[in-house]
Amino acid sequence: MTSAPGPRKPLAGIRIVDFTNAVAGPTATSLLGDYGAEVIKIEAPDGRQPNPPGTAPLRPGAADEPYNRVMHFNDLNRSKLSLVLDLAKPAGRQRFLELVQVSDAVIENFSPRVAGNLRIDYPDLRRVRPDIILLSMPAFGKSGPYRDRISYGPGIDAMSGISHLTGYEDGPPMKPGNFFCDQNAALLAASSCLAALRHRNRSGEGQYVECAMIDGELQVVAEALLDYQMNGRVQTRTGNRHPSIAPHGVYRCAGEDAWLAITAGTEAEFNALCQVINRPELTADPRFATNAARHEHQDELDAVIAGWTVSQVKLSAQHTLQAAGVPAGAALNVAELLANEQVKARGQFEEVEYADLVQPYPHTRAAFKLRVHTSRIERRAPRFSEHTRQILAELLGASVSEVEQLYEHGVTRAAPLDAHGLRV
Amino acid sequence: MPECLAGIRVLELTGGPSVSYCTKLLAGLGAEVIKIESPAGDICRHSGPFPGDVPDPETSGLFLHLNTGKRSVRLDIERPEARALLKRLLAETDVMVEGYAPGALTALGLGYEALAAEFPRLIVTSITPFGQDGPYAQYLGAEIVTYALGGYLMLTGSPEREPLKSYSTQIEFQAGLQGLFGTMVALTGREADGRGDWVDVSAMEAATFLLGGPAQVCALTGEIRIRNGTRLIGLVPRYFYPSTLRPCRDGYVHAHTNVRHPELMSVLMELPRLAEAEMLETAAGHADEIDALMDEWLAGHDRREVVARAQELRVPFTEVFRPDEVLADPHHAERGAFVELDHPVAGRLTQPGPAVQFAATPWRVERAPMLGEHTDEVLGRWCSSAELAALLETGAIV
Repeated sequence: MTSAPGPRKPLAGIRIVDFTNAVAGPTATSLLGDYGAEVIKIEAPDGRQPNPPGTAPLRPGAADEPYNRVMHFNDLNRSKLSLVLDLAKPAGRQRFLELVQVSDAVIENFSPRVAGNLRIDYPDLRRVRPDIILLSMPAFGKSGPYRDRISYGPGIDAMSGISHLTGYEDGPPMKPGNFFCDQNAALLAASSCLAALRHRNRSGEGQYVECAMIDGELQVVAEALLDYQMNGRVQTRTGNRHPSIAPHGVYRCAGEDAWLAITAGTEAEFNALCQVINRPELTADPRFATNAARHEHQDELDAVIAGWTVSQVKLSAQHTLQAAGVPAGAALNVAELLANEQVKARGQFEEVEYADLVQPYPHTRAAFKLRVHTSRIERRAPRFSEHTRQILAELLGASVSEVEQLYEHGVTRAAPLDAHGLRV
Repeated sequence: MPECLAGIRVLELTGGPSVSYCTKLLAGLGAEVIKIESPAGDICRHSGPFPGDVPDPETSGLFLHLNTGKRSVRLDIERPEARALLKRLLAETDVMVEGYAPGALTALGLGYEALAAEFPRLIVTSITPFGQDGPYAQYLGAEIVTYALGGYLMLTGSPEREPLKSYSTQIEFQAGLQGLFGTMVALTGREADGRGDWVDVSAMEAATFLLGGPAQVCALTGEIRIRNGTRLIGLVPRYFYPSTLRPCRDGYVHAHTNVRHPELMSVLMELPRLAEAEMLETAAGHADEIDALMDEWLAGHDRREVVARAQELRVPFTEVFRPDEVLADPHHAERGAFVELDHPVAGRLTQPGPAVQFAATPWRVERAPMLGEHTDEVLGRWCSSAELAALLETGAIV
């Protein structure tokens, strides 16, 4: 019913019911939508609370619906359709089950307690669609002592061990970036959904898939878990240093908050580095003659390198070092990233127009290009309830009067309720 | 019951942690993964941790983790007769995952165009630091370099100090995960039209994918968000708070307010100040004051006490755990998140088990292979023992 323009996308023909919130779930479903799945996002009548500092600037003359300009929401929900349903009402529940009947998979990331209250469980869904796939993304899983805990991504990072392991040598544990475990879980979930679909296509069997966010994160701290078993060593924070290679660091350059990452893992790379920084004698210095020696004297070595970088412009130094055969890269801030030559050449940010916004949105595609199948992000995030009538009528066969009744009884609505029950 | 990817054959040409992680996950989902190792062995075999810190290609912790569920074939593809044999395998392969520098496989006659012409259903997943094209394609890419250029480095650490990378080689792991998703997309597309594809993964782009919003905010408003210490990035006075890591009596907790019920912070710590209207409306504007108030209260309590009490109130605090605590956590034991694997050289080790739990299809996790452990068994399916002997003679197999 929603034929996208252009050639066929690899996931065309798959219909996903998206019942997710926050970051990890919406990221997983937008990835599936980007590659052609029809993703129907179910929104609650009080969804999308606009937070003024988080809304994008309004195009002059456009109708002001702040809930349609929530920057983070729009980014996480491109490539989807919006259907508003109140599942607490029997008619909302009924329409949801009808939708499940004509869909391939349901993806949800409520806490197990809320999912239970909403009665989104596998036996219930299978009753209406025997080969349905239900993929849940709970923080800690639906079993075990932590099952009822609530947490956002950074709180899961904390419990996985990665926060303990990230930080300056002399400082507190740090968050690994922004929402690390959310994207980590999203990629696993989107991949698992496709794997479960392949199994269904072969066997006719659907299933429940549990993508607990913490499980995916245990995979990326395995070295520390094994080091403890092998050597009784409790690893901790080491800043930007590498366990065996030196130099390996981030060095200050000329300008405000300007930094350059440099490493040299081989003799050839280290020799080239010494040439570029005009210190060829260092290669003969016993403190730096071998990688092991460099690792032992890395404080001194870092001071020498920083003495050179501090007067360099980071991008020119990057080019010079790379041309000489030294792995080096500037720490780009987001403005520099958007303008970066490699980013532009590869087109990781795909611009999509929004009628009420001043600027198009540069949505971030997954980190790969396909050469045979098409994969461009084409569909902007839906406006609140944008596709409710269309889905109810065309997909679920509701009559005009049935649709009107759903609006009348508050099962669906055209604009969100705010937290106090008033129209925004 | 067969696994999700039963019947899918994956050939791995080794290329660092990203390639190995991608194929580990494909093996977990049930694909048959044949790992082609050079005579010297996969690069990860030479990375620690090692028992007693003594390097041994069979006991690298990184390798043992990244290569569960695979078979190892020791084949020197620098040699033409080895490549001829590789082509025989590729004719019956669904996915090849490789991490060679762009152009290197073309020079060996194994570039995507040549393979696609011969094997139109083949999916090639190439994972490189910067992708196959663009001005940086031939750049040297260490993990810290792709971290920096992907924009992610500027989001970790304190604003007044140098930006930080995260633990281990996270961008390699993320590039592997992107390779998994790309491979699944390509396999799904092939179901419908029978056509293979080239999944060209860039580690730098995998770093950028982790940014989670600041690039879009910058494009739409001009605001440049950077690292914010232990606090959530992009806080402005009218946002909620806390969302940070703070010390308590026996370590650190991740302290986060209940966004819908911020007044619960005041209940948790019995501090009326935290429920005052000014506090609730501009919590992030009072972050320093809130930290000071929290720290005083947290100093009198242990992590588990704090978290138990907060969670009971539905305030999403969690503990910052050390690796030894993660390993011993009864939650993971009850869920089967770890498995014990016996390795002939490394012994018995507890390793991460299923990354995802499927109710109907098993997740495959078997110990990592020893170097060349399956050379004869695997290659014997494609060539006679006389051919194998000849290959051994020339050094194409070891």
